[in-house]
Amino acid sequence: MTTQSTALLAGDTQTDGRSASEPAGRGSVIASARGLVKTYGSGDTAVQALAGIDVDFVRGELTAIMGPSGSGKSTLMHCMAGLDTVTAGTVVIDGEDVGRMNQRQLTRLRRTRLGFIFQAFNLVPTLTAAENITLPLDIARRPVDRTHFDAIVAAVGLAKRLHHRPNELSGGQQQRVACARALVAKPAVIFADEPTGNLDSKSSAELLGFLRRSVDDLGQTVVMVTHDPRAATYAHRVLFLADGLLVGELTNPTQASVLEVLGSLGANDLAADDESGVAATSVGH
Amino acid sequence: MGRVALRGIRAHLVRFILSVLAVTLGVAFVAGTFSLRTMMSSTFSGIVDSSMTGDAYVRGSELSAASDVGDTRNLIPASLAPTLADIDGVDLALPEISGAIVLVGSDGTAVTSTQAPSFGTALDPDDPSVTVVAGRLPRSADEIALESETLASSGLAVGDLTQVVLGGEVRDVTVVADVSMGAPMAGATIVFLDVPTATAVFAADGQVPMISVYAAPGVSETSLVDRLAPVLSAGSAEAVSGDYMRDQARTDIESMLGFVQTFMLVFAGISLFVGAFIISNTFSMSVRQRMREFALLRAVGASPSQVFASILIQAAVVGLLGSALGIAAGLGLVSLLRIAFEQMGMDLSGSIPLSAGTVVISLVIGTVVSIVAAALPARRAALTAPVEAMRDDVATTDKSLRVRAIAGTVIVAAGAAALLAALVRPETDGATMLGLGAGGLVVGVLVLAPVIARHTLGVLAAVFVAAVRPLGRLARGNVIRNPRRTANTAGALMIGMALVGAASVLAASATASTRAIVEDGWISDFSVQSATQAVPSGAVADVRGLATVGSVDEASYGSAHVSGPGEATTAAESMIVVSLPPEAFGRTVDIDVTDGSLATLADGELAVQKATAEDLGWQVGDQVTLAAEAGSVTAPVGAIIDTQMISAPIIVSDALLAQVIRPADTTVEMLLVTAAPGAGLGALRADLVEVAAPYVVLSVLDAEDFAAELANQVNQILVILYALLGLSIVIAILGIVNTLALSVIERTREIGLMRAVGLGRLQLAGIVTIESVLTAVFGTVVGVVVGVSVAAVMPTVFADSGLTTLVIPWAQLTAMLALAAVVGVLAALWPALRAARLPVLDAVASD
Repeated sequence: MTTQSTALLAGDTQTDGRSASEPAGRGSVIASARGLVKTYGSGDTAVQALAGIDVDFVRGELTAIMGPSGSGKSTLMHCMAGLDTVTAGTVVIDGEDVGRMNQRQLTRLRRTRLGFIFQAFNLVPTLTAAENITLPLDIARRPVDRTHFDAIVAAVGLAKRLHHRPNELSGGQQQRVACARALVAKPAVIFADEPTGNLDSKSSAELLGFLRRSVDDLGQTVVMVTHDPRAATYAHRVLFLADGLLVGELTNPTQASVLEVLGSLGANDLAADDESGVAATSVGH
Repeated sequence: MGRVALRGIRAHLVRFILSVLAVTLGVAFVAGTFSLRTMMSSTFSGIVDSSMTGDAYVRGSELSAASDVGDTRNLIPASLAPTLADIDGVDLALPEISGAIVLVGSDGTAVTSTQAPSFGTALDPDDPSVTVVAGRLPRSADEIALESETLASSGLAVGDLTQVVLGGEVRDVTVVADVSMGAPMAGATIVFLDVPTATAVFAADGQVPMISVYAAPGVSETSLVDRLAPVLSAGSAEAVSGDYMRDQARTDIESMLGFVQTFMLVFAGISLFVGAFIISNTFSMSVRQRMREFALLRAVGASPSQVFASILIQAAVVGLLGSALGIAAGLGLVSLLRIAFEQMGMDLSGSIPLSAGTVVISLVIGTVVSIVAAALPARRAALTAPVEAMRDDVATTDKSLRVRAIAGTVIVAAGAAALLAALVRPETDGATMLGLGAGGLVVGVLVLAPVIARHTLGVLAAVFVAAVRPLGRLARGNVIRNPRRTANTAGALMIGMALVGAASVLAASATASTRAIVEDGWISDFSVQSATQAVPSGAVADVRGLATVGSVDEASYGSAHVSGPGEATTAAESMIVVSLPPEAFGRTVDIDVTDGSLATLADGELAVQKATAEDLGWQVGDQVTLAAEAGSVTAPVGAIIDTQMISAPIIVSDALLAQVIRPADTTVEMLLVTAAPGAGLGALRADLVEVAAPYVVLSVLDAEDFAAELANQVNQILVILYALLGLSIVIAILGIVNTLALSVIERTREIGLMRAVGLGRLQLAGIVTIESVLTAVFGTVVGVVVGVSVAAVMPTVFADSGLTTLVIPWAQLTAMLALAAVVGVLAALWPALRAARLPVLDAVASD
């Protein structure tokens, strides 16, 4: 396999971000961020998790976000999903400005437009698999579309486990329930945070295959944070983050190309660490 | 390990705050009870010191009966006083001349204070125990002096005209002096009279209970007693030292206060027991959350006993802190009580005492309760395997409930069996069986609670599950997920509600029973009763003189020493004897006779209550001896009666009572009046009210009024009981708050997850509230079932004591359920707010 485009422009994030955000020809932009900055703490102890990111996520695509620990990939996802407030910049999801929303509107947004899959603790332990899947609809008091429900359940292969409670399911099954739950409300975007982080390779492959099919067959949009290069190969596009900046992008990635970028990122990461070390020292002075 | 334990408390302060509060409330009750007792005993001791200033006392030497509240002795002649005063070394000898009086205050009503006595006493000009603050001593029958506090609470001033009811008649008097006795008199109404007036009323026959003797300067108490003895040896009188008398008076007071203290401590105990549930729950949850921490400690070499000790240290800190705050709160409580007492006209002495003993006992109780409550969770922590530290997700496996189910069922069954036994054979050992049954049922249900929680809550939650989707289902899941915890939380409320439930059933039954008794046995048209329990003789005469009155029966009582057939008179028991004219039976009272006939009363025979006769083994025809100051009479038992109308054990004719007890020692408890033929009841009532009015303390009641009055008395007791039980309910509410708050912390991630998938803040608060309401209602339902079952047995067991009818106050029980729902909502406020404020991100971010 060949790498169609490997943009690795650590120096100029601005242009790099732009280039990354250009549609890859698979539909319109459904979620985007402009000049996204997120700073934790203040004064001397301030940590900049996102240093100004412009990014677009395209409808009907599975986008993976990768980067070393502390690169800001989870923060980016949290900000995009309205789970965390942004320090500066704008986030627009499906035409709505998330940054301007109050708690009530954010709750509504999560109910109607977003789906979530977390690394662990995805299910309410007191509810059965079926109840967990329909939880978002129940909370929103929306009726359950039975054919859609059945189709999803069949697709994730959980038909026989619907009345089990989470502690009676394997880790892979639990994550598939979480996927089904994310899909059942037909959200605009599904955010998945390390969905395979706790799974063995077989379960991972099943889950990722299912996520990819939901994109290809159902036209779902999925944004997935992962540190697993194999997981990233299921994506249409991979974005690379380092030190709060978007530093690269791959479309139709392969494990080799991902590793290659990560490898160079690692080197870059070291350099960045040096820079930040210098920066920190200068701040200290 | 100590450091780890203390850091643990500091790091999780909020978690322990409610535990500390629970200990605080329980200990406040304990400390408050002890200080109240100390304060009261110092007040009464002050009264003893300032009112019993004699250096020696001369009293009757024949002890006729001893009881908890003092001895009964023969009377001695007041004329002994001048003889004693002539003895060398005696400065002064004053006979004690006092008795009941009613003082009319400035507002025209009787001056009374809750429970405190009202008495008139002779004031000798030389009496050294009093000081005249203003005015001069009373010199004639139309002058009185008032004790300073009495003067203040009556609203009168020196120089004012008022009235007293003395010796059965209303007298117009002038207040001529304000007299101080040197110490607060705890609200007693004290009226000083000149000696001749007091003697005429209270010691007409020249007999007095005691003579106070004051020594001349330089004569010691013991030498005074020695000098008095030769003079007294002939008669039935003896001399004792002033110190001895004061000690004895204090001992009598202490034993009465001891009873009050025990009563209060029972409620303090209930509160602490309920508080222990909170502490135990807090530590269970804290241990559950910190499993990895303990495992880590174990992995780095801590022994199980060290882990165990570290938890107990935390419990001890919680206990000590709570107790210290509790002592402070207890003192605050007593200050409030003192203010309340003062408002009611009962002044208590000095500063609020805090003895070292109270502090130590309170600290020990609070700490021990905390440590004991934390012991089980501590054991679980100690047994954590070190390998748990390596696990990603700590699996807290819940032990099976089977052992609990079996043990609980056995205990509940045993308790129920005991209750059944009490029902079937109430005569033999009903009360014991009832006690065992109540204990077994409460303990058994507490043990069984986690087992029944799942099903009961499932049923209770059905409403919410159906009505509030999907919140109801989520809340139900949360409360039955950990049935032990829910059951423990509800357990605290259960105990309080069981007591309240039982009390309300008892109160309703008692009210209905008294009503039934009154309606059954009361056939007079009206009764005239006195707030001082004594109808003045003048009023009796006035009532008899009314034209509208057909018949008047006096119910009088007095105390006599009673000995059964073959018993020595020295073994006599002091009993209340009631007298009625023989004609009264069938005319104004209707009494059930089980054996013999009431007609025999006219022939000088006795009627004995069934319960008393059974206790003492008396039968119709047995010779019983009654003895008191006026004389001794031996008469056969003529009837065995079964009535709650008259609570005294023995009823005799008025003629017989007069042979035994001096008229001065008998009290007219009430007059039973019927209308004259042709006179309307309305006219009779109007006449009676008019006659009674000047006596201030009299009231005219028909059967309905009387029943209502009795019911009112029951309700007053109930209010006190509810107030005391209220504390345990407050602590139980804290328990629910505590459990909810901790379980919200425990479920942070789950809550975050639900928020992430779209759960609104209000919805989240709704879930927490439903959980709270379910827990509260569960505790209340189980508690009420237990309380009502126990109370339902009581009428059968205590039928002899007048509890004849079982009434279950459904409306009140329903109100309790509503209250439980309110309690649930209130308890959920803070935890729900806390849950709603949890940032979604904190909850979902895994690192």
